[in-house]
Amino acid sequence: MLEGVNRIGMHEWEVPVGYVKGMRVPGRFFLSESLGKTLEPGAVQQLANVATLPGILKNSLAMPDIHWGYGFPIGGVAAFSVDEGIISPGGVGFDINCGVRLLATPLLHKDVSGRRDLIDELFRTVPTGVGAKSSLKVSSQVLEGMMVQGAQWAVKAGYGVEHDLVRCEEGGFMKTADKHAVSAKAKQRGIPQGGTLGSGNHFLEIQVVREIFNPVVAKAFGLSLGQVCCMIHCGSRGLGHQVCTDHLKILEGATRKYHITIPDRQLACAPITSPEGLAYFGAMASAANYAWANRQMITHATRQVLSKMFRIEYDQMPLIYDVAHNVAKMEEHVLDGKRMNVCVHRKGATRAFGPGSRDLPPDLASLGQPVIIPGSMGTSSFVLHGTQIAMDRTFGSTCHGAGRIMSRTQAKKHLSGREITANLLKEGIIVRAHSENAIADEAPGVYKPSDEVVNVVHEMGISRLVARLSPLGVIKG
Amino acid sequence: MRMSFEEIAHTADVKIRARAPTLEALFSETFKALMQVMYGTHRAGGIQREIRIESSDNESLLADFLSEVLFLSEVERLVFSDARVTIDGLCLTAELTGEPFDPVRHSEGSEVKGISYSELAITHEANGYMLEIIFDV
Repeated sequence: MLEGVNRIGMHEWEVPVGYVKGMRVPGRFFLSESLGKTLEPGAVQQLANVATLPGILKNSLAMPDIHWGYGFPIGGVAAFSVDEGIISPGGVGFDINCGVRLLATPLLHKDVSGRRDLIDELFRTVPTGVGAKSSLKVSSQVLEGMMVQGAQWAVKAGYGVEHDLVRCEEGGFMKTADKHAVSAKAKQRGIPQGGTLGSGNHFLEIQVVREIFNPVVAKAFGLSLGQVCCMIHCGSRGLGHQVCTDHLKILEGATRKYHITIPDRQLACAPITSPEGLAYFGAMASAANYAWANRQMITHATRQVLSKMFRIEYDQMPLIYDVAHNVAKMEEHVLDGKRMNVCVHRKGATRAFGPGSRDLPPDLASLGQPVIIPGSMGTSSFVLHGTQIAMDRTFGSTCHGAGRIMSRTQAKKHLSGREITANLLKEGIIVRAHSENAIADEAPGVYKPSDEVVNVVHEMGISRLVARLSPLGVIKG
Repeated sequence: MRMSFEEIAHTADVKIRARAPTLEALFSETFKALMQVMYGTHRAGGIQREIRIESSDNESLLADFLSEVLFLSEVERLVFSDARVTIDGLCLTAELTGEPFDPVRHSEGSEVKGISYSELAITHEANGYMLEIIFDV
């Protein structure tokens, strides 16, 4: 492990105050010894940088998929006092409410095995990749609906069913959205992209449930062995990117105005209750809602394809859950025995609320929130459930994915997209993408092994394993 | 110093190191790096666009310029090949040339979500300028 970092538990490491100048609280991250070998000094530095921000509570935290990003490390979690703390786009990222959802189907492995036509049809139906344009007519009224009411707007517009909303964080939209804080430029970018997947690590995957770790919870979530599911990973597209760009600029000025010292310009911030802080929060919530609407529209397109090709009913494909992994939210947490409202930033981290928490669907309230952890292309994804330990230790948070260990430049030197596609096909996994580079960038070997990452959060108890799914077909940007 | 840019290893995103004899050329090189990351190397000129930006320092000027390029490229569905940049104090004018997005020729890249300020520093050396910048992909 890196110098200056202290081990304080089997999978727990502390970055002491003083690691970088001005730290207000220690940093803490969760990592196994073997995953520690790939940890970059830049990621620890970023974790320590977050600890210098005003009003930070308890610890600057990072989950076991920690890696070097910009502003916060990826896998970073930090909560701030509403009265004395700040809000920062550096703790959310450009892709606001990038997130993932899992859709159940009544199909079994044998029904879809080798069905290239299914992957081809999904690839044709869901716009993906650089320059992807929606086939839907998004008017400014529609855009407003997406920004203000998110997935709820989408369901009312016919892109889903009421039950979908119960299975989304926040019921599918943040009520604090302020459309007036979203610039004309951001809106202009949002109009042509409603219902598009994007590129990079975004994907739509047909998966099969391979292993059940907790039969009782799996059954309650709607998962069974051999069942085919569909995982959708995407975010707020150009609208969210522009909101981040615009407000970073405004918050740079605010950082000076409020005399806040920051170690990295990407951590530009303002007091949560300041006009600039509230404007960012309102715009960010609008972008988050757009992302929920977007995932809902893609879900609708996917259900239509499955319904048509396999003659199954639309409502036989319930949403298991939808999680956001780049977002800042006002949440109630218990600190030193006192219940208080705090602003939790999760940058590449997933909410993992434990049993009895507010905002859980009534039928799952005693079990904890479903947590969906996508693997890399070709590797397993996992479903876990939130725990009280997460509430006590990580502001109800866990990891969000496998976490990269190899840069894109290195990845391209190893294997071509063509070779990766051929290798995956030998394992029964069909891949469709617009370019070979997109496949090479996201090859399985560029990520930490997803099972090792989830084992750490499972052993720590900040979420517990429910099921493992493996891919059968992938469409990518 | 010759103008150049290269992609250097960064775990999550794309990190670019660019060098040029003048600040204007440095901005132009970084702009080309951005377009190459997004759309690959097959890019032609023809359609002209102009960008005017004013910022508080050189780093912001660059980030604002590239953010504006991202915006224009996305909303007008244009892929740019070259930029003639002039900088007067902290005011920038860029004359861009490009072509309409063609899914066949321009799908080899990755969408850039934003221009990061993390680790962004423009340095002035004896024989020119150098910078490193992270694009979120």
